[in-house]
Amino acid sequence: MTDAIQKRSLWMDAYRRIRKDRIALFCLGIVFTYSCIAIFAKLNFIATPWDKVVGSSYQAPQWGWGGPLELILGTDIFGRSVFYKVLQGTRIAMSVGLVSSLISTPIGVFFGALAGYFGGWVDDAVVWLYTTLSSIPNIMLLIAIAFVLGKGLTSIYVALGITAWVSLARVIRGEFIKHKSRDYVVAAESLGASHFSRIFKHILPNVSHFVIINLSIQFVSAIKAEVILSFLGLGLQGQPSWGVMIDDAKLELSRGVWWQLFGATTGMFFIILAFNILGDSLRDALDPKIK
Amino acid sequence: MMCGLRGIPAISVRIIGVALLVSIGIAGCTSKSKNESLNVLHIVADEKLKGLDPIYTNDLYSGIQSSQAYETLLQYHYLKRPYELVPSLAQTLPTVSRDGLTYTFSLKKGVLFQDDPSFKLNEGKGREMTAEDVVYSFKRLADPKLSAPGWWVLDGKIVGLNAWRESVSNTVKTDYSIPVEGLKALDRYTIQLKLLRKSAQFLYSLAMPFTGIVPREAVEFYDREFINHAVGTGPFRLSEYNPNSRIVWDRNPTYRKELYPSEGDSDDQALGYLEDAGKPLPMSDRIVVQVITEKQPMWLNFLAGKLDFAGIPKDNFTSAITPKKELSPELAAKGIRLLKSAALDVTHGTFNLSDPLIGKNKFLRQAISMAFDEATFIDLFFNGRAIPAQGPIPPGVDGYDAELENPYRKFNLVKAKELLVKAGYPEGEGLPPLEYATISDSSARQQSEYFQKMMAGIGISLTVNSYSWPQFQEVIKNKKAQLWEYAWSLDYPDAENMFQLFYSKNVSPGSNDANYINPAFDRLYEKSSVLPAGPERTKTYGQMVKMLVEDCPWIFGAHRMSFVLIQPWLKNYKPNDFDHARYKYYRIDTALKK
Amino acid sequence: MFIYIIRKLLNTIPVLFGVAVIVFVLFNLVGGDPTYQMLGRHATASQISELRHEYGFDQPKYIQFTQYLKQIVTFDYGRSYATKQPINGMIMDGIGPSLSLMIPAFFITTILSVAIGLWVAYYRGKLVDKVVVIFCVFGMSLPMLAYILFGQYYFAYKLGWFPISGFETTWPERFQSVALPMIIFIIVSLGYDVRFYRTAILEECNQDYVRTARAKGLSEPRVFFKHVLKNSMVPILTNVVVQIPLLILGAFLLESFFGIPGLGSITIDAVHNSDFPVIKAMTTLDAMLFILGNLATDILYTLVDPRVSLK
Repeated sequence: MTDAIQKRSLWMDAYRRIRKDRIALFCLGIVFTYSCIAIFAKLNFIATPWDKVVGSSYQAPQWGWGGPLELILGTDIFGRSVFYKVLQGTRIAMSVGLVSSLISTPIGVFFGALAGYFGGWVDDAVVWLYTTLSSIPNIMLLIAIAFVLGKGLTSIYVALGITAWVSLARVIRGEFIKHKSRDYVVAAESLGASHFSRIFKHILPNVSHFVIINLSIQFVSAIKAEVILSFLGLGLQGQPSWGVMIDDAKLELSRGVWWQLFGATTGMFFIILAFNILGDSLRDALDPKIK
Repeated sequence: MMCGLRGIPAISVRIIGVALLVSIGIAGCTSKSKNESLNVLHIVADEKLKGLDPIYTNDLYSGIQSSQAYETLLQYHYLKRPYELVPSLAQTLPTVSRDGLTYTFSLKKGVLFQDDPSFKLNEGKGREMTAEDVVYSFKRLADPKLSAPGWWVLDGKIVGLNAWRESVSNTVKTDYSIPVEGLKALDRYTIQLKLLRKSAQFLYSLAMPFTGIVPREAVEFYDREFINHAVGTGPFRLSEYNPNSRIVWDRNPTYRKELYPSEGDSDDQALGYLEDAGKPLPMSDRIVVQVITEKQPMWLNFLAGKLDFAGIPKDNFTSAITPKKELSPELAAKGIRLLKSAALDVTHGTFNLSDPLIGKNKFLRQAISMAFDEATFIDLFFNGRAIPAQGPIPPGVDGYDAELENPYRKFNLVKAKELLVKAGYPEGEGLPPLEYATISDSSARQQSEYFQKMMAGIGISLTVNSYSWPQFQEVIKNKKAQLWEYAWSLDYPDAENMFQLFYSKNVSPGSNDANYINPAFDRLYEKSSVLPAGPERTKTYGQMVKMLVEDCPWIFGAHRMSFVLIQPWLKNYKPNDFDHARYKYYRIDTALKK
Repeated sequence: MFIYIIRKLLNTIPVLFGVAVIVFVLFNLVGGDPTYQMLGRHATASQISELRHEYGFDQPKYIQFTQYLKQIVTFDYGRSYATKQPINGMIMDGIGPSLSLMIPAFFITTILSVAIGLWVAYYRGKLVDKVVVIFCVFGMSLPMLAYILFGQYYFAYKLGWFPISGFETTWPERFQSVALPMIIFIIVSLGYDVRFYRTAILEECNQDYVRTARAKGLSEPRVFFKHVLKNSMVPILTNVVVQIPLLILGAFLLESFFGIPGLGSITIDAVHNSDFPVIKAMTTLDAMLFILGNLATDILYTLVDPRVSLK
């Protein structure tokens, strides 16, 4: 009972702090906007069809009132709207961040919790596993996994998901080690709570803020990793991703076509900025140590 | 107190800020401190180099680099077209016996290898190149322990060489002293080659970088490090070798007397290619080769005048070239010139004929070929700088027929669908998705999308599998894909080099990766390969092309054009597909380059 | 202490073994047989089998794996398939350029970000804290490729402040070649580091002993530098060590665009060419550095932070 109250107050407290933090609220707004764009793009409400030819090849951006919306960021090599591609790219970026987090978070929590809670050989095994994985340069793992699974969104999700759980597991393990000997857990044990219930019902809610903080980091690194994979030729095929757009720009910039680079990096800039700042604010708000 | 605190971190920030500014300043202000002479060629290689040993030079850049130091018996005339062989290390073209099987070369006298520590007997002075060096170098190409990718140029051609290769394959150390009947040094300056059968193309092999002449001392002295050294007879000496970033060649002071050609094509005089006629080669003192793998820095370096010439990357094409395929005014104002030339190559979609579905169904292949819109493809992927191919032979080579019209290369969906009915798959019904193999880079990705789109037009679906380059080769050589795109550039200016890609004895893992087997074609191929150039051979070539058109082992793609931009100060640049030693002709007009 | 180090070293063996297994499995599955590429399109079947035999591709996988383990121990990975160069030589050649870029870049980033971290931690919650952090985050919110493309085009080509690409081995030209990529590296990594150090320092600020020190009437600067900085060395060191493998590999984008012949581009080439010996060597080397770095931090911990005991 007590820990539930303690928990609620932590979240309430965090909520109050976030609400007072204007910048964090603003960032939350950005994330919300991007999510809406992504959902609308997914549902084909906006920026559709993105691969329609709307002008000639490499048409420069047209500003000004009343101009066609699809031309405000110019066109790409095939005469497709860069603006539409940026919007549709939001969908890809958000889904890459979301799905890879959905893959890595449960893995990280599971292994971290097991290792921290049980200790002993379980801990040794988990620590061995993640030390091994983190000893191999991340980019090599990404490349190898993307090669094994072939090209496409699925393999990017999986590659990023598999490589990203390590840091979360490490944090969760540390917290479990701290919490497992705390009074409330010991009390629960004496009341006959099973291992399962102690792990998931008692300790986990008390460390869940780390999961939230980690999510924001995960989102950022996933969106960035997608650019690297595209550069290495392992990116998406036939989809308007920011990574592919920036990769295209490496050939276009020297001929004066800056709008594709501009569009994709701007799109990317705000969401990464928002997640970074939000991550900080969440940490400040949720971490009882920093007050 | 607080103030002090505020100050301290700020100071460290400031110090570092100053350090940063200084670093920018140094980078910004100092110009090239080295006093570089102006007579230096600046060249880009867009791949990392794979070594300088001639027998391993199976990519263009390594071939060119290796050819600065190593020379071959013959070379191509720099200016004349169609391509013509002229002597290089040989005194003259060889005398050929009446049966056409024995070639006798006399070598130039007094040709010295470059000075190198490996010539221990000579205290590092390069010794004279002799006929024994030729024998040694050719045997080296055949040495099974070296696994030379250039072995094919001699494989099955010279009497006793294959037997020699067999005989040394199980020994610990290859014994080069075992004589080979068809490969003899008659005296110090005479070399005799005996062929197994007549071949009209054999002499071309002797102008390819693979057959460059190397000195045994250097090979043995450097052993496995030999790939990082260059000890030849050529116009340039290696002075810096970093295959990942930069190579520097300096004029070889002991180079033999070789002159710039004094005759060329009819318009070469007018184009200024003969201004240096009769002058000694090489024309420049030094070559600096920069390895730049990314297109943007390559292009920017060219625009900044740091490179003397550059091919135009696909995406810079429209900024450099106007829609009429001429130079854009901004570049023209800088004095930059544009050279267009037809590359002797063909791109093609390949059908794997060993696949039961694809191989047995000629109508299916024809339908696919017909449903592929080449004109749009050329516009999108080659910026329109290519000629749609009707058959395998590129223009500029004997056997090319400008009148040829391949009925299955006329984009026509209606007829393609009719063919598909004949193939037994009306509207593509009942046809499983075809396995299309491709490599994982961005333009290959776009091309496969295009292929898919084209096939959708007649109801055929493709499964695209993309691979790394080595995987792609593995898949093809093991006949595991049904369809893929590829290109072939001629190794020498003879259509035979194209036809061997369809010869049944070369099926995978050989060069016939379409696995085309047709005894009638084989007979014609064997007949034509011993014919000298002439009307009879041209006619036979025509018959072979006709068979290929009808059987459709390839979707004939395009013969590409290369567009090269040249700085105003670079003289004597004439596009050339085969002469790897080309840099010795290039001259920097030092007055124009300040 | 000595026994502690030995035990830690022994602990690295299973990790190295794990690295070996993962590397071997992943790259054998995806590798592609490099024979065909090496021999080109004119290859004959006999040549292919000769070469496969020479490289031992025809041997069973477990034997190939044992050989790999042997290579790890002897640190002799033979020659690259693609370049035919001895791999140890390639590493020696590549390490100089890589480090010329990464050591100054990393050093400046670390000093700068610790300094900024201290600064903003001191003013935590105030405007200056927020503004500085947001600026640092601005820098890290753009992809490195965008910085490279823009920096190379604008500062190197248009303004001519830096060489466009290329690597000079002589000093101070070498410094010029790495100046722009170095600045890009700093801008991109500053944000992460500043935030990390800020948090680490803030955590220390709230420890009891800091409060006690303050209560004892120690001046803020003394508290900050004597106690907080010293004690936040642990997370700072950890963060530095975590990034050590990045020093070797992380800069491949910078290396390939600026023509710096370092280890990053060697590794990426190796991946593209299925150059398995180079992949093995680089990955193992990297893992070893990482493990050794961790060991070194463990030992350093005890020096800077008496609370950590050697167990």
